[in-house]
Amino acid sequence: MNPFALTICNLHKNFHSLEVLKGINLNIKSGMFFGLLGPNGAGKSTTINILAGLTLKSKGDVKIFGYDIEKDYKTVRQFIGLSQQEFNLDRFFTLHDLLLYQGGLYGLRQTEVKKRVEELLQRFGLWEHRHQKPHRLSGGLKRRAMIVKALIHDPKILILDEPTAGVDVELRHDLWNYLKKLNREGKTIILTTHYLEEAKTLCDEIAILLEGKILIHDSIEKVIEHSKGDLINYFIEEDQEQVHA
Amino acid sequence: MRNHYWISLWTLIRREIARFMGMRNMTIFPQMISTALYIIIFGFSLGGRIKEIHGFHYIEFIFPGLVLMGVITSSYNNASNYLFMARYDTSIQDILLTPLSYLQMVFAFTIGSIIRGLIVGVLVLATGCILLKLPIYSMAATLIFLLLTSLIFASFGIITGLWAERWEDLALFINYIVTPLNFLGGIFYSIDMLPPWWRHLSLLNPIFYMVNGFRYGILGFNEIPLSISFALMSALSIFLFFWTVYLFKIGYKLKT
Ligand SMILES: Nc1ncnc2c1ncn2[C@@H]1O[C@H](COP(=O)(O)OP(=O)(O)O)[C@@H](O)[C@H]1O
Ligand SMILES: [Mg+2]
Repeated sequence: MNPFALTICNLHKNFHSLEVLKGINLNIKSGMFFGLLGPNGAGKSTTINILAGLTLKSKGDVKIFGYDIEKDYKTVRQFIGLSQQEFNLDRFFTLHDLLLYQGGLYGLRQTEVKKRVEELLQRFGLWEHRHQKPHRLSGGLKRRAMIVKALIHDPKILILDEPTAGVDVELRHDLWNYLKKLNREGKTIILTTHYLEEAKTLCDEIAILLEGKILIHDSIEKVIEHSKGDLINYFIEEDQEQVHA
Repeated sequence: MRNHYWISLWTLIRREIARFMGMRNMTIFPQMISTALYIIIFGFSLGGRIKEIHGFHYIEFIFPGLVLMGVITSSYNNASNYLFMARYDTSIQDILLTPLSYLQMVFAFTIGSIIRGLIVGVLVLATGCILLKLPIYSMAATLIFLLLTSLIFASFGIITGLWAERWEDLALFINYIVTPLNFLGGIFYSIDMLPPWWRHLSLLNPIFYMVNGFRYGILGFNEIPLSISFALMSALSIFLFFWTVYLFKIGYKLKT
């Protein structure tokens, strides 16, 4: 198996005249818990959406476990589970049906997917809400539903775009524990976050994305040390601001 | 590594059928009722005053076209409304993230819309045949032209569902293109009742070929050779289907 879960080489993205990503290089080893940090508008979601095939890159090479995201798109999509920053839950079906269909779309058999859906809904405290239409759920429950949806096919890489934004402290800690467990069991996890504490608790490595480039990519201790507090200050401030908000 | 791509495909087809069956008071029954009303009004009250066309009662002559109108709007609305909504609330991403190929995605959406068109078509057809005591001349031709018509309009629905920026845009195609073409396509009259220049113009209208083939299926009467209707509609179906696959492949209005 390819030792790298993700390799990004000279990735560029323009939205018309707006240059969002200006040549990103990034290698993430299989089994890593990786945090992508950066201020709002830095291009974190854009990068993640390119990996998942929701946004088209302008230039560069991106591989997931050695498979090209465009040439081998079907293989790559089987590997990735994505929970987007914005909720997207089909409002037509109940949460339960939506997840059953989603598992089926990844090729899971009905019996298999039923078991998996029940397990995950129980684990995330969503079981009693399973007959609800997802758009009627509260923000915190919707966020959990998004994560369950991303996990439905037991992907090798779990990608979470701001999974704990707007989520209460209790769920945040519960989710942290769960993610740590998944990571220990071998799942590669990539997440974006604004919270320094989250990055410190979870991530083996972080990278900071600033003005379309990777400013630094290292273990979290090294990043704090190297930046001599300068950079990290920004995140601490933002962190506190959001916690108090 | 799971490779059950057929499970994925079948799931998407099932999901899209469940979607319109869950709204059948909006997606299935209204067409039936409106066609039944057409038949009752034209057939039993006004119909007697309009002379026969090619040996058929007026209502019998227009009946195949009425069925087609129901099929056209059903297939078209199914594809265009779903895709537009799914783009709008970004739930289309649930499909784009899965290992389905673009061909499979389009195939499933098209099949879903065809099935809605066929359900409406068959129900309307049955209602009409019972009310008019009309036997079907050729079941095979009827079904083939029903299928081709719904395939063509499912594809148009996918294209406008992708292209539309506002709800209003979805209706543009129906209001400004399909409805006029329906009325000019020989649903309500025979083209040999028209002046020559208009008759020639009708030959440019795709609806004309659909009605021609479908009318043969039900009544056994056609105005131009069936093979021409069949060949043109098949060519159009294939072209539109692969065009929609291409639009998915390039991510037209699906990917940023
Ligand atoms: N679809 C789009 N069209 C145009 N600009 C976009 C689009 N998506 C994102 N952007 C712009 O790209 C930049 C990066 O956005 P994003 O990746 O969402 O940042 P982050 O997730 O780091 O907050 C922002 O300036 C944003 O306005
Ligand atoms: Mg973002």
